[in-house]
Amino acid sequence: MTPAPTLALLVLILAALAVAQALRRARLWRRGRPAHVDWLAGLKALPRRYLHDVHDVVARDPYAARMHAIAAGGLITASVLGVFGLVPALGHSPVYGALLALAFAAALAGGVMVGRRRSPVKPARLSGGRFRLVPPALTAYAGGGLLVGIAILAGPGFAALGWLGVALAAAGAAVLVYLLGDGPMRHVFAGALHLAAHPRSDRFEGGRETALHPVDLAAPQKLGAETPADFAWNRLLGFDACIQCGRCEVACPAFAAGQPLNPKKLIQDLVGSLAPGGAPYAGSPYPNARPVAGVGGPELPIVGLGAMVHPDTIWSCTTCRACVEECPMMIEHVDAIVDLRRFQTMELGAVPEKAVQPLLDLRQAEEPGGRALAARGDFAAGLALPKIQDRPAEARPAEVLLWLGEGAYDLRYGRTLRALVRLLGAAQVDFAVLGAEERDCGDLARRLGDEATFQDLARANIATLSRHRFGRILTADPHALHVIRNEYPAFGGHLEVVHHSSFLDELVAGGRLAVGDLGAALPGAVTYHDPCYLGRYNGETEAPRRLLDRLGLERREMARSGKRSMCCGGGGGAPVADIEGERRIPDLRMGQASETGAAIVAVACPTCTAMLEGVTGARPEVRDIAELLLAAVEAAPPAAAPARQRQPEPVA
Amino acid sequence: MKVLVLLSAGRHPASGRAGPVPVELAAVRLGASLGGADLAGLHAGPDADAVADALGHGLARLHLQPLAPDADPLGALEAAVRRLAPDLVLAGNRGQGGEDAGLLPYALAARLGRPIVADAVALASDGDGLVAEQALGRGARRRVELALPAVVTVHPSAPPPLPFAFGRRRSGTIERLPAFAADAPAPAAPFEERPYRKRPKLIAKAAAGASAADRLKAATEAASGGGRVLVAPDPAEAAAEILAHLRAIGVLKR
Amino acid sequence: MSAPRRLRRDPRGEKAATAVTGGRRPRFDLGAEARGAAATGPSGRPRRDPRGEADRQRIPGGARLRMDRAHRGGASGPGQVVAEASAPAQRLRTIAAPAFLVGAVIETSAGRPTPHARQVLGAARLLADGHPELGEGAVVAFTVADAGDLGPVGADRVLPLGDLITGDYDPEGLAAVLATAAETLGLRHLVFAETADGGDLARRVAARLGEGLFAGAESLTATTVTRAARARRTERRAAPPRLLTLAADAVAPHAGPLHEARSLAAADAGLGHAPEVTRGIRAARRIAADPAAVSLAEAEFVVSAGNGISDFAAFRDLVAALGATPGASRVVCDAGLMPRSAQVGASGTVLDAACYFALGIAGAPQHLQGVAGCEHVVAVNTDLHAAMIERAGLAIVADAQAVMPALLAALAAEQAAAGRDREAAE
Ligand SMILES: Cc1cc2nc3c(=O)[nH]c(=O)nc-3n(C[C@H](O)[C@H](O)[C@H](O)COP(=O)(O)OP(=O)(O)OC[C@H]3O[C@@H](n4cnc5c(N)ncnc54)[C@H](O)[C@@H]3O)c2cc1C
Ligand code: SF4
Ligand code: SF4
Repeated sequence: MTPAPTLALLVLILAALAVAQALRRARLWRRGRPAHVDWLAGLKALPRRYLHDVHDVVARDPYAARMHAIAAGGLITASVLGVFGLVPALGHSPVYGALLALAFAAALAGGVMVGRRRSPVKPARLSGGRFRLVPPALTAYAGGGLLVGIAILAGPGFAALGWLGVALAAAGAAVLVYLLGDGPMRHVFAGALHLAAHPRSDRFEGGRETALHPVDLAAPQKLGAETPADFAWNRLLGFDACIQCGRCEVACPAFAAGQPLNPKKLIQDLVGSLAPGGAPYAGSPYPNARPVAGVGGPELPIVGLGAMVHPDTIWSCTTCRACVEECPMMIEHVDAIVDLRRFQTMELGAVPEKAVQPLLDLRQAEEPGGRALAARGDFAAGLALPKIQDRPAEARPAEVLLWLGEGAYDLRYGRTLRALVRLLGAAQVDFAVLGAEERDCGDLARRLGDEATFQDLARANIATLSRHRFGRILTADPHALHVIRNEYPAFGGHLEVVHHSSFLDELVAGGRLAVGDLGAALPGAVTYHDPCYLGRYNGETEAPRRLLDRLGLERREMARSGKRSMCCGGGGGAPVADIEGERRIPDLRMGQASETGAAIVAVACPTCTAMLEGVTGARPEVRDIAELLLAAVEAAPPAAAPARQRQPEPVA
Repeated sequence: MKVLVLLSAGRHPASGRAGPVPVELAAVRLGASLGGADLAGLHAGPDADAVADALGHGLARLHLQPLAPDADPLGALEAAVRRLAPDLVLAGNRGQGGEDAGLLPYALAARLGRPIVADAVALASDGDGLVAEQALGRGARRRVELALPAVVTVHPSAPPPLPFAFGRRRSGTIERLPAFAADAPAPAAPFEERPYRKRPKLIAKAAAGASAADRLKAATEAASGGGRVLVAPDPAEAAAEILAHLRAIGVLKR
Repeated sequence: MSAPRRLRRDPRGEKAATAVTGGRRPRFDLGAEARGAAATGPSGRPRRDPRGEADRQRIPGGARLRMDRAHRGGASGPGQVVAEASAPAQRLRTIAAPAFLVGAVIETSAGRPTPHARQVLGAARLLADGHPELGEGAVVAFTVADAGDLGPVGADRVLPLGDLITGDYDPEGLAAVLATAAETLGLRHLVFAETADGGDLARRVAARLGEGLFAGAESLTATTVTRAARARRTERRAAPPRLLTLAADAVAPHAGPLHEARSLAAADAGLGHAPEVTRGIRAARRIAADPAAVSLAEAEFVVSAGNGISDFAAFRDLVAALGATPGASRVVCDAGLMPRSAQVGASGTVLDAACYFALGIAGAPQHLQGVAGCEHVVAVNTDLHAAMIERAGLAIVADAQAVMPALLAALAAEQAAAGRDREAAE
């Protein structure tokens, strides 16, 4: 026996133990509900998902990307090379020795980089605890392998060095195996399997599968997730993939506002509920954490004062998907939170106090404020709002159906909608509204976990929409847009929806609206706040910016923008849940807007408008892009009006 | 204790959609607060569609007393209550969507020969009786001790209904009681019905004990109060104006 | 309310009360318009009468013409306030041999009928006087506690029932007494106030008599009475039935001639002794509302602080001095300056208060949602353009920090003056 085959055996044992650990862990995952997984497609797509999607996320932190490439690449290459030590001829080949040494040297460098990340001070987002064992274990294993390589390279006289290397590598490997089963290294196999068996297979390679999955309300099993076993097995697998990098924590607006939510800790609590007694969590806690018993198990409740997670934690979430967007392991936090909420709401009726009435009104009045549906058009205050029911049967379908949404009942937002209606008039868009037939789209009910009420609303709206003839649905509300565009198809509603930012941009680009220069009228720069449900959920970040650029305004970007923008705090029913924190999310976001020095925050969502308008004190003005565009259209020199033939019809 | 909550088919004030009446759902919660109560609902009508959502608000069982759509429910309810023999019958203090007069629980109590107490916001059992806390408006309360069996109506200031839980509605049961030979509908006094119109209220509400001068001031002040704005008054003048105004509208009682 | 509740007798107070009511106080003719108010067009909507409106808006007394523009749409009558600045000697109207009787159940407070009870008497008067074809009707006032002189408010007869019931709170006994009286006196109508106890009593009487009840009348003439039904989506109108309850502030009190308010013997009403009743109510105890502790949702008068307030000690003193319930805007609750339970607005409490007094509150839409149901709003704000100023019936554009101490000082001065008056009187 020489060091080379011993090292090879060591690697094989390591691999076997890794498989054993994975199988042990898989037994836990199998306690979850069954899920349909297309293994073949998943495994085939695995390399692309890894190199494309995972890498895109990891690369946002260049140090981490380099570290991971070197450490993981070195480790895998070196280990595979190490197995070849079983071939007797290679045991003494200096070329082999050199290659082995090189690969292990890379792994060693990676190990050192891993260590450097947490020293001298550990950044708050990273975890301590067992994570501190990773660098020494990695360096020992890689260093040992390096010694073996050097010994082979140096020739037979250096067997002692080789044995030392084997011993060192064995020590490192032992720790790594330990960390594979219950520690940071679990992400290796759980992450790979999660990529293959991901519950949202359409989110990869540029896809944006963001719709919540429907609940089968007639199925006999309980509604939503109460215990870890109520999650589909591949969801449990996903939680296990978490590497505790803390990127989600950094992105989470509720965490930043000091509300008791930290998506990273939540995922770890789910892991801890599935396998109690595992590695203790050593990352940042929930801010202002509410006390809970900390008792969990595969068949025990997750949420509750006597369980693992306080209800305030799941109700703090704005469903902004920032965590999902940042997660290198492609974990779906929002799905998990909504599943937990579904059980609380539908089985226990345990919704936040202030959410009870809106949910009740959604059931009984199809509107969360309990207001008359016919009053939705009241904002128009004299502007003509043609109703689709009034169109003669022989008329051609309306060009667009204007979906007014919840914002129509809001005093402030009425201004935006009036601007939009005026613009439609100016561009001679043939539009109509549903009038009293427009119900709430169901967004609030669904995010608050009331899937039953959501489905009632969705079906009723789909039935209404299918009775009328129109081209596209136009809405200024990204929440309605998302629900109708992405979530109604599961209930048979296949509708084309366009956001007013895109539509107005089209109108200007197509010459149907002539715009003047606003630069003089509105001195000072403008910064655009991306609504989560438009940017992250639907990938629409360019149209609003294009439109703003057409107005002659100086546009500045906030530190967080586009798909990585920060939430205003208004989504997911968070305003009605109103979980107390230290700060308000809109105040934080407005602070970021102020930092750009802009005089105006341009918004494109009724909820963002309400949240940001609620910020007190000196701050940039909040203006919807429709309001800005209307100002620009009014500032347009009359001569510049497009030469298209149009009937002399008064604007609005 | 056996508790039966009367559920009527209500209508949402804005949408007009059929559904349970909030104050009756609050009654369900009060019934449940009696700890260990055997709690069920009772609806008399052709079907339970309008009230079945009550099963999602903390009620596990609902009795349906089948009844023709326009029949007078009083006799049917009386028969059902006699059959089910609850210790306590709970009802909302007013319906929502029909007559909304709040007379039915009284008529039922009279027919059953049970005492009735109105407008409860809290309940507690007390030996062989019951203690009901009654809302007298504007936060005043009265604790009433009464003998059981009894009928108690619930006031909207009672704790709000338990949130709706679809899963519970799904698992709740509806039991049909034997058919009831309905009374011929009581010959209702003739009335005319038209869309609701809000009527102007009297405006001078000077406190009963106010002096004549105060009340004169009340009348004129209240009358002129349609959006008066004082810009930068002397603080003492502002204070005097405010106090006079508060007296005029009757909220400042000293 | 205290009608079915017996107050301890206070002979001195009683004497004083009679003395006052007998005098010639200036009186508001709140009812002058109500009788002729049924000027509705064929559509049921009130016809507008611009000249009449202007006349009504004119406030008599004083040489200057003063218009009361608050009555913009006030053609339907009961909204009128007309002051008789100088009261002439009152004519006494005696109805010796009434053609029929109309009963009115009187609730009292401190030895006087409550404003609502005066409206009930006003309604009873309308019903008694509105049928000349039947002859003159007389109003019988049923009282439990001492109600003072009911002649000026329109009672022809007074039947005290206090001795026929047991204890402080006996709605079961009282309902039996009233039901008996209604039958033996052959009352054509019996009017109650739609209050917690009045409404309860009316329903008990209706159940006892096996009759219908027209509950919560919102408008009333001798021939038509209306009420809301179907979750306030419809209005029902009918000829006034025998039993009815009257919503608050729907009918003006009587303001015509003095009536005799002659005592009626209980025996004449078939009430020589109290009727037999089985009582299920064993005991009752009233718990008075403490404005400082009452929940915001039930509070009648809320004084609220916003971001413009810095001196919260003064604010709390002011709330206590005004006998109000404290509220706050969200910013203030967020900052921990007031408890979360004090938050008014969309994500706080939606108020049902009669009056909302906002100090240093801008009036964001989410905040205004919470006060949408408040009839009266008073605002103090430094910003003339604040939404709250626009919403207010009385708006003071000033520094709330200066107004609060001024209010406290004014209240203290009034109290001191009242104390001196009392001393002087003794
Ligand atoms: C989803 C959502 C829900 C919300 N729910 C609520 C809610 O339920 N309740 C609520 O209150 N808010 C709510 N808000 C917040 C709301 O939008 C406002 O931010 C808040 O009401 C402002 O409070 P404020 O008027 O006290 O403060 P500010 O807006 O700061 O206004 C202070 C006012 O005081 C005046 N002022 C300053 N100094 C003085 C002085 N010395 N004397 C007199 N006046 C002075 C100023 O002119 C200004 O008008 C909500 C917001 C959102 C987005
Ligand atoms: S959930 Fe994802 S982003 Fe959050 S810590 Fe885990 S791996 Fe990182
Ligand atoms: S969705 Fe947004 S608010 Fe919710 S956990 Fe993720 S980052 Fe936080």
